[in-house]
Amino acid sequence: MLRAGTLLLAVALCPGAGRGEQPMRVTTDSSAYCTELTQRFAAQATTMPASAVALAEEGQRLCQGGHVRTGIAKLRRALRVQQAGG
Amino acid sequence: MVLWWNTAGALDRQVDAAIRADATALVERMSVRGIPAVAAAIEDRMAVDVQNETLYLLLAPDGARLAGNLSAWPSEASGEFPWIRIPLQRDGAVSEARLFRLELGGGHRLLVGRDVAEKLRLRGLLSEGIAWAASASAAFAVLGAWLLRRSLERRLNPIYRTARAISAGDLTRRVPLSERDDEFDKLGITMNAMLDRIAQLMEGVRGVSDAIAHDLRTPIARARAKLEESLHAAHDEDSLRAAVEQGIADLDAIARVFQAVLRIAEVEAGARRAAFAPTDLAPVLADIAELYGASAEAREQHLAVDLPESLDLVGDRDLLAQAVVNLLDNALKFTPEGGTVRLSARLSEAHAEIEVADDGPGMPDADRRRAGERFFRADAARTTPGSGLGLSLVRAVASLHRGELLLRDTHPDAASPGLTATLRLPAA
Repeated sequence: MLRAGTLLLAVALCPGAGRGEQPMRVTTDSSAYCTELTQRFAAQATTMPASAVALAEEGQRLCQGGHVRTGIAKLRRALRVQQAGG
Repeated sequence: MVLWWNTAGALDRQVDAAIRADATALVERMSVRGIPAVAAAIEDRMAVDVQNETLYLLLAPDGARLAGNLSAWPSEASGEFPWIRIPLQRDGAVSEARLFRLELGGGHRLLVGRDVAEKLRLRGLLSEGIAWAASASAAFAVLGAWLLRRSLERRLNPIYRTARAISAGDLTRRVPLSERDDEFDKLGITMNAMLDRIAQLMEGVRGVSDAIAHDLRTPIARARAKLEESLHAAHDEDSLRAAVEQGIADLDAIARVFQAVLRIAEVEAGARRAAFAPTDLAPVLADIAELYGASAEAREQHLAVDLPESLDLVGDRDLLAQAVVNLLDNALKFTPEGGTVRLSARLSEAHAEIEVADDGPGMPDADRRRAGERFFRADAARTTPGSGLGLSLVRAVASLHRGELLLRDTHPDAASPGLTATLRLPAA
């Protein structure tokens, strides 16, 4: 019994033992990044293609509706169209 | 394995190549425009990453985060190897990231990577598909092998049963043949031919044994009786010496018979075929004729010779010469004084024929059919010396050369028809 307790303690104290660390997070899946992309899109000085604008608007709407990853994908597509158009 | 390497394995290689290209481009940018340009490039790349796969983390020397989308520097990235895999938290689900570490100089560190969850899923599907396909192939292969084995067993069973019966002593068994005329039937035919040949050879061996038992017992007994009689009857050393010499001569004759029997057996077994070579028999026949011509003259007989300039054959020169000598021996033995023996040879497209004709008493049809059997002696020959093995050897030599020995009357309808023995052999 004593031996089992010692083993558990050793496992708990050992750094990274048994992959006790939390998995890494991706910061670009957040609504904050949604906002960042919206601002980046708006900051472009070039003439925006209508399709890019529509995609950006749809992306914002999805982000606001809680569909963050889909919204981010739309915004990224909008930026890509914008870059291609520019 | 090859299929897996070309499909699922290709996905891994593709991801690594993309990461390496991305990292190389960022390093080049840094060397030209510095760290701020690298940070900007990272932000630009993340902003247009529609697939949402790219992963970056650029840290300052003090550990401050300059750009990227990873929440922290993973402990695995501080290890020895630059390539790492780490678990990744996305939308509450655990995914997996493939990362490549670079030291940019001045204490700046960079991680470039990809979220490989989709690739892993695709690889899993491919692996599963390959596993199913491999399992199905293996199952079909096993089934095919089983069916093939059954089919082979069914076809080989008669051969196996025959071989087992023969090994158990039943030499009369033969492989039953089907009507398919396939490889197994060909094997069966070959085996049957082999068994026929073995049976023929064994018959020959048995014949030799019987002949030795029956025909050599008499001369041995006779020689023994002579020696025994001399032992009792001889009164002086000279007569005893004469009896011993006679005994030695008798035993020499028996040894010669043994030698002849063994030689016939050797010829019949086909062992001499390895010594076959192209040969011109005409000079050999001329030499024999010269030798026997003198012998014939001594007995007031005439040896007429008619030989071509060349007689090309493929065969065993010594055996053929021995066969002709045997024929001439017989002919001279049975030809009366003043008679003629003819030795001739001719070559056609298909055959070479060597003929020995005599003016002797000839041989009845019934005897001709048996001539060639070991120790057979026609009634007319009982009074002449001989062992009854001469024609046996000639016939065996002819057979060894895929030829034949033909016997016919020299003068049909004559009171003393004589005998013509023709050794017909395939031409070279």
